[in-house]
Amino acid sequence: MALNCPRCGGDKNRVEHQGKEDGQVIWTVHYCTACCFTWRDTEPALSIDSTKRRKVFQIDPSHPERFGVVIPPVAR
Amino acid sequence: MNKYSDLPIKLASSVRSMRDFLDLLSSHDQCITWPDPVMPEPDIREICVASGQDVPGAPAILFDKIRGYPDKRLVTGVHGSWANLAILLGHPKNTTIKAMFYDIISRWGSEKAQLPRVKPDQAPVHEVRIERDINLYDILPLYRINDFDGGYYIGKANVVSRDPNDPDNFGKQNVGIYRIQPHGPDEFTLMSVPIHDMGRHMQAAEETGKPLKIAVMLGNHPAMAMFAATPIGYDESEYSYASAMMGSPIELTESGNGLDIQAHAEIVIEAEYIHGRREFEGPFGEFPGSYSGVRRAPTFKVTAVSHRKNPIFENIYIGRGWTEHDTLIGLNTSAPIYAQLKKEFPEVVAVNALYQHGLTGIIAVKNRFAGFAKSVALRALSTPHGLMYLKNLIMVDADVDPFDLNQVMWALSVRTRASDIMVLNDMAMIMIDPAAVTPGKGHHLIIDATTHMPPDPIGGDVEIVTPPSGPAIDALAARIRALQGGN
Ligand SMILES: [Zn+2]
Repeated sequence: MALNCPRCGGDKNRVEHQGKEDGQVIWTVHYCTACCFTWRDTEPALSIDSTKRRKVFQIDPSHPERFGVVIPPVAR
Repeated sequence: MNKYSDLPIKLASSVRSMRDFLDLLSSHDQCITWPDPVMPEPDIREICVASGQDVPGAPAILFDKIRGYPDKRLVTGVHGSWANLAILLGHPKNTTIKAMFYDIISRWGSEKAQLPRVKPDQAPVHEVRIERDINLYDILPLYRINDFDGGYYIGKANVVSRDPNDPDNFGKQNVGIYRIQPHGPDEFTLMSVPIHDMGRHMQAAEETGKPLKIAVMLGNHPAMAMFAATPIGYDESEYSYASAMMGSPIELTESGNGLDIQAHAEIVIEAEYIHGRREFEGPFGEFPGSYSGVRRAPTFKVTAVSHRKNPIFENIYIGRGWTEHDTLIGLNTSAPIYAQLKKEFPEVVAVNALYQHGLTGIIAVKNRFAGFAKSVALRALSTPHGLMYLKNLIMVDADVDPFDLNQVMWALSVRTRASDIMVLNDMAMIMIDPAAVTPGKGHHLIIDATTHMPPDPIGGDVEIVTPPSGPAIDALAARIRALQGGN
C-alpha cells in the first residue's frame, strides 16, 4: 500500500530513519520529496493524519511559483 | 553581602562549554535529567511547554531516554529561566531582571575579548568525525517542536559563515542563530533574509557563483547562544563580543572546512551552499507565537560532522510565549536600545523590550516637561531595532521599574489620559507580526504613562505616596530572600 504524505497527499516519499529498541523498529521517519514534509509514524494524529490536520496547513506543491522565495536565485 | 553571592561568580567564569554550564546549573538545582522514557512527539514538546510556566525558575532539562534514540542526549531550556541567566551572569539565582539588565549594560563596550586557539587535533569537538554516510537523523535526536511545523527543526544553532568576497576577514565572519530544517539525511534549508549577515553571504555566493562554506555549531558556550543574536555591526566578531560580555575566554579551533568554531561545541555540522536550489521550508512556530508560512529557502549539503563523545544536542522550545526564546534574547534586545537612546537622552533610565522580541516595550525616563517622554519614544522608534519591532511602546517615569509589570500597570492606571496615546500609521514593521494587515507594514502605538508636567495645568502628580526606595530597600529585599533560605 502506497503511503501518502499527510500534508500534500503525494506518494513520492522515502524513509529517512528508523528508531529501534532491542532490534525492533518502534518508529519510522518519512520525507515527502514533493512538499518536503517530514513525519514520524508515531506522532499524534493532529500532525500526521491528513483528515485531522488543519486544512490551512495542507499545501499543493505542484505550483511552486505560488510560494515566496527566500533570497531569489540569480538567473544565469 | 549575602553569603551566597560569591560562589556562582567564581564558577561562572570557569565555564568553558555548555557541559560546564550544565554542571554549574545542576549544582544550583537548575538542571534536571528527565527520569522517564519519552517519545520524541508529543512528550518532549509537552515537557518543554510545562517548564515554560515557571519563567523565574525553570531548570534546563536533559533527556537521555528518548525512545528510538538509544544513547542520544538532548537538552532544552538551558537559557529558559531568569534563574539560569542569573547563574550564567554570575549572580544568585533570584537576582531581579532589573539588576541583570544593569549588569549587562555595565559590560557593554568592554573590549577584553579572549579567544585562545586550540589545535584541531586537540579540540574536544573533533573527538568523533563523520565524513561518509552522514545521516542527521541518526546523529541528532530530532523531533517536531510545534504540531504543524513542516519538519524537525534545529532551533538553537550558532551558524558560522564568511563573506564569499572577503573570506579571510575574521571580523566579517558571521556567527548567528538561524533556524534550520533538515531535508533528508545530509541536506537542510537555512532561513535568513538579505538584511541579516548570513543572508548577505548567501546573496553574495549566489551573485558571484563562489562557494559558501558554513559550520553549524550545536551545544555552544552559553554566552554564544545568548550574545550571537545581538545586533552588532557587520564587521564586528560575535566571538569577541560574547567573550568580552562574559569576561571569560571562548576557545576556538578550526572546522574541517576552514571556519573558526568553538573548540568545546558539542556538535558541528559542516556544510556547503547549493547554488540556485530552493526547497519548501516551514511552517515553523515562531517567536510571536504564530506559524511562519511555507516558502522556498536556500539549501545546504552536509559535508562532514564533528562531535564530542556522547554529544548533547541542545535545542530550544519556541512557539507561543513565554518560551526560552524570550528569556534568551530579551535582555540583549533591551540593552542596545538603551545604549543608543542614552547617547542623546541621558534621562533614559531603563528599557524593557522582553516581550516577543520587543513587539511591546517599556521605557523608563526622567520626565522633563510635558510631552518629553513622547519625543524619547519617537527616538526609540528610529533605533535599528525599534524601527521594525517596537510596535507598542509604553513610557513610564524613572520611579517605575519597567521590568515590574505591577508597577507599569500602576502607571498606566493613574498617569495615563486617553490623549496620551499616539498612533503612528503605516510604518515599517517586521514581516511576521500576526496582527499585520499587510506584512511588513503596520501601526506603532505610544502610550505615555509618565507624570503630567508643566506647562500642563496639573503640573505634576497629585500627592502621590513616595515609598522608600533605592539600594537600601533592594538590600533589604535580598536579605528577606536570604532569610527565607533561597539563593
Ligand atoms: Zn508532501
